[in-house]
Amino acid sequence: MSVELTKQGLVLSTSGLSAGYDGRAIVSDIAIEAAPGKVVSVVGPNGSGKSTLLKSLVGVVKVLEGHVTVGEHEITNLASEEVAMIGVGYVPQIDDVFPPLSVKENLEIGGYLLSRREIPSRIEMVLDFFPRLKTMMTRKAGKLSGGERKMLAMGRVLMLSPSVLVLDEPTANLAPMVATQLLEEFVRGFADHGSTVLLVEQRAKAALRISDWTYVLGGGRVVLAGAPKDLEQNPLFVESFLGGSSTARSVHDE
Amino acid sequence: MPAIAFYVATIIVYGAVDSMACLALNVQFGFAGLSNFGFIIFQAGGAYVAAVLSMGPWQKSNGGFQQYVLGWHLVWPLPWIGAALFGGLLALPFVFLVGKRLRGDFAAVGLLVSAVLLNQLVNNFVPLFNGAAGISIVLAPFSGKWDPQGLGYQFAYGGVAVVLCVLVYFLLRRVTESPYGRSLRAMRDNDVVADALGKNVRVQRTSMLILGGMIAGLSGAILVGFINLWAPGAWGYAETIVLFAAIIVGGAGNHKGAVLGALLVPLGFEEVTRFIPPLSNPALVPALEWVAIGLLIIGFLWFRPDGILPERRRILSRSATSSVSVPSGDESDSLINLGNLDQMDFRQLLRLEGDPSDHGIILASDRLTRDFHGVTVVSEVSVEFQRGRITGLIGPNGAGKSTTLAMLAGTLAPTSGRVLYEGRDITSMPSNERAKSGMIRTFQLASEFKKLTVLENLVSAIPRQSGDSFAGALRGRRYWGREDVENIERASEMLEGFGLTQYADSYAGGLSGGQRRLVEIMRALLAQPTVLLLDEPMAGVHPNLAHKIGDQLTRLAASGMTIVMVEHELAIMDAFCDPVIVLAEGRVLAQGTMSELRAKKEVVEAYLVG
Amino acid sequence: MSVFLSSLGFGLISAAVLAIATVGFTMQFAVTNVLNLAYGSVMINSAFITYFLNYHAHLNAWVAMIGGVCTGAIASYLLNRFVFTPFQRRNLPPITIVIVALGVDLCGTFGLQAIVGGSYFSYKQSLGRELHFWGMYFSTLQLIIIGICVVVLGLIHWLLKYTRLGKAMRATSANATLARNSGVRTQRVISSTWLISGALCGLAGTVFAMNTGVFEATSAQLYIVLMLAAMFLGGPGSAYGAMIGAVTIGVATELSAGYFNPQYKEVIAFVVLLGMLTFRPYGLFGSEKTI
Repeated sequence: MSVELTKQGLVLSTSGLSAGYDGRAIVSDIAIEAAPGKVVSVVGPNGSGKSTLLKSLVGVVKVLEGHVTVGEHEITNLASEEVAMIGVGYVPQIDDVFPPLSVKENLEIGGYLLSRREIPSRIEMVLDFFPRLKTMMTRKAGKLSGGERKMLAMGRVLMLSPSVLVLDEPTANLAPMVATQLLEEFVRGFADHGSTVLLVEQRAKAALRISDWTYVLGGGRVVLAGAPKDLEQNPLFVESFLGGSSTARSVHDE
Repeated sequence: MPAIAFYVATIIVYGAVDSMACLALNVQFGFAGLSNFGFIIFQAGGAYVAAVLSMGPWQKSNGGFQQYVLGWHLVWPLPWIGAALFGGLLALPFVFLVGKRLRGDFAAVGLLVSAVLLNQLVNNFVPLFNGAAGISIVLAPFSGKWDPQGLGYQFAYGGVAVVLCVLVYFLLRRVTESPYGRSLRAMRDNDVVADALGKNVRVQRTSMLILGGMIAGLSGAILVGFINLWAPGAWGYAETIVLFAAIIVGGAGNHKGAVLGALLVPLGFEEVTRFIPPLSNPALVPALEWVAIGLLIIGFLWFRPDGILPERRRILSRSATSSVSVPSGDESDSLINLGNLDQMDFRQLLRLEGDPSDHGIILASDRLTRDFHGVTVVSEVSVEFQRGRITGLIGPNGAGKSTTLAMLAGTLAPTSGRVLYEGRDITSMPSNERAKSGMIRTFQLASEFKKLTVLENLVSAIPRQSGDSFAGALRGRRYWGREDVENIERASEMLEGFGLTQYADSYAGGLSGGQRRLVEIMRALLAQPTVLLLDEPMAGVHPNLAHKIGDQLTRLAASGMTIVMVEHELAIMDAFCDPVIVLAEGRVLAQGTMSELRAKKEVVEAYLVG
Repeated sequence: MSVFLSSLGFGLISAAVLAIATVGFTMQFAVTNVLNLAYGSVMINSAFITYFLNYHAHLNAWVAMIGGVCTGAIASYLLNRFVFTPFQRRNLPPITIVIVALGVDLCGTFGLQAIVGGSYFSYKQSLGRELHFWGMYFSTLQLIIIGICVVVLGLIHWLLKYTRLGKAMRATSANATLARNSGVRTQRVISSTWLISGALCGLAGTVFAMNTGVFEATSAQLYIVLMLAAMFLGGPGSAYGAMIGAVTIGVATELSAGYFNPQYKEVIAFVVLLGMLTFRPYGLFGSEKTI
């Protein structure tokens, strides 16, 4: 695996973050931090606001209160293209590729901020990472299978050589074996090479296996946080997913 | 003195004609959401038919210098009746453009292009239309008996025109202020949801095209009888734009606004420019008129899109305690008081039938599959839903839950597989038919009818209203009034049970998220579902409220309703759904009660936690 | 056969003008999702600028043409910046913007008429020798126009397929949010698209006037029918679809003029357009997801 694929990471942190659509907060008072070389995951039941949180970090959803910083840059409500320029790469959960463009063109757009000379060599590097894409360079992205699309989506963001990777449910719709490979080889691999990885996952157990730190979201707030091995022992952890317990509900009763 | 008198008579006729046209176009555009950019076709067509019906055969008239068809020399009012009928007939070729699949702006452009081309055809085709010269010396009604140039005649003509315009006004009001009118406005606000509640969008739009076409034809007939000329130049596609400008200025969705706009724009404008002294460039004034129309359109749409007389809020009369309408939604959903719900007799209120203890299979799917550009989103899903139970449908994002629900409800067509309802294969039944058969669905995203009040939203869902058809509306309040009052009472009762009475007369679009959810659920219930398909009904709803809703759904199921609920909130699943079907990656992973599922290792591993 | 060939010849020149116009129109739709019904007014204004630069300012025909092209580019850019974008920010239904576009079309077309008057203008210059080969007849001017068309479409193809901006344009049309996440300044890309498509619009208006020879302020109003037919045939938002659609419609209308009645040649475009809207509004080459 190539060392220059991702840059040395920056610290991503938020404080008092509230974000949502049309002035209504979906997540409130979020304080999280992700450091270089670490995988930080955000898990929680559906509807807890995980996706919205990620989108608010990269300029897709409005931040209503609080701050987001990456390294020394304050990126609260910064335009998405500027966030990309700072080195934050975002892979959305759906609509993660450009369907009418070919695989090669998707990667080229991923490398939009690079100079012309750098693009071919970076594409080479990304293809080393995802060799299956080599045979599909001219195929339109819309015609790829689910797993191939996800690879392309990650490849696109790698073109940026990001220092922070923000991934929204990267294993959604992937077969379990592919999902495991994606998480354990690639996502963990990015962190091991120095970049910062913030990951939202529905497959909580799988996420915990590769994470250094995990936040559990519930009803738009952080309800639990800790190292995976500690969380796994915590009875509240399982319950906050499966619901049905009064403790999970009481966290967001007013 | 006489000159001014003649002028006044002319103004009266033009005013009546323009008002009639604007009233008709307003019903299509402002009330039904149908952007009829080809309106002029109907007016021109009606005028033409009136002309050729009233004149004698062309070879024998005036030395045979102009060609046209028919020429039956009919006596008034037959030409005008023919004109109205023809105007309505002209709507039929355009039925294909007004289904629910085509984007509104694409359909509008299709109509516009039709107007452009028909004008072109007319300009050139001599045998039918006498080409660019048009048809002149059109006979005025009774021109044999009275002198059309006489002042008395012209005032009488104006009087008849005004009377007809007034009749049209009351006719259209009768249509729009009926339950049918409510359905039209609902379709305007959200045609997908209106369809899911049983309204036939294509039929409604076609009816409005026909109705508007008939009135347009009549207005054309009145005009051509007065000015005795039918010239293609006068019926260009741009004339429709003038009428649109009039409606935008006067107020779309308001009949008086349409009349006001007609008097201000087509009439007022033309007349004002008449008094401008002739300038060196004779084309200048007409050209500037068009520029002014363009500026009026842009200006009003920017600064005052509702027009001078905006659409009125409709306060439905009812006997319940008077409520002060609250302009904005209450933010704290947790305070919503579902007080009286437990006392509500659902079986009575919602006309539920059937035996509550019958748990036979009412709805089923057989290997339902949906592909989307090579990606299989739902694959061979075969599920069954029992009567009188709340079946949950859970699964991770992208598992295909909402897609499956959409295929069951008919809002999405499957790539393969069947949907069976009460034993019948309904796979090819359109969604509005399924709704009428009792399959009612809700939507994930906000789907209230924004410019209807909350009470109107609820009442619009009640099925089989005698006033909710074109014929029923025409028969007037005496026909559907009592039933409507009963329906309003039922809706009010529902509203009171859910604790939202104070919002009855507020626009649904202004409520908070949780309140809009409740309105959606209430509306779905009032549609008298046999099977209720809920697509994430608790999304964004405070957990306390969600539980209260869940309790009521349980009561409903116990009263015999079948409920299918797609949800994310596992707590809800656990508390209210039994059985639960788990989907993952487009396939059925497992089914059973929540405790059974939790015990199944692969379910827990693959979805719930791992 | 000779009818076929001579009609084909007319069809080719017709297609050339239509292709330039439709590609510009569809690019605007692709990137803004708006049917810019004011396109015709920009076309005719550009045509008049070229004419006046040529005849009254006595500039060389090519320089005048550049003037027309620039007019189209600037006018279209301003239209998007000061009309469409502000209105779109208000979250109104798409039909409202179409009505606004109609309003602008009125202002543009009749504002022009107010200035230049209602009379016809004509290019009095000789159209060059009439050449004919393979049964088709062309004047020198027409051959030049076809040549310009081929060059311009080639440039557009090169732009979209091989340049950074072109790929950014296609990416923005497909998924603007994702494009921004990749670092694309979509605002600038959209402005550039309007400048380029506006240039096409101006060029189309200019050659349209030159080809018809005689024109006045409202001459371009009928043209919208042909453009819409060509665009919907190939698929709204697709530049290549527009090219194919334009060639098809251009040739088909002239063939119908040759074999049936020249006065109704637009009817075939009409039928195609209504057919596409009814059965396949996403075009022959598109799919439901593209619109």
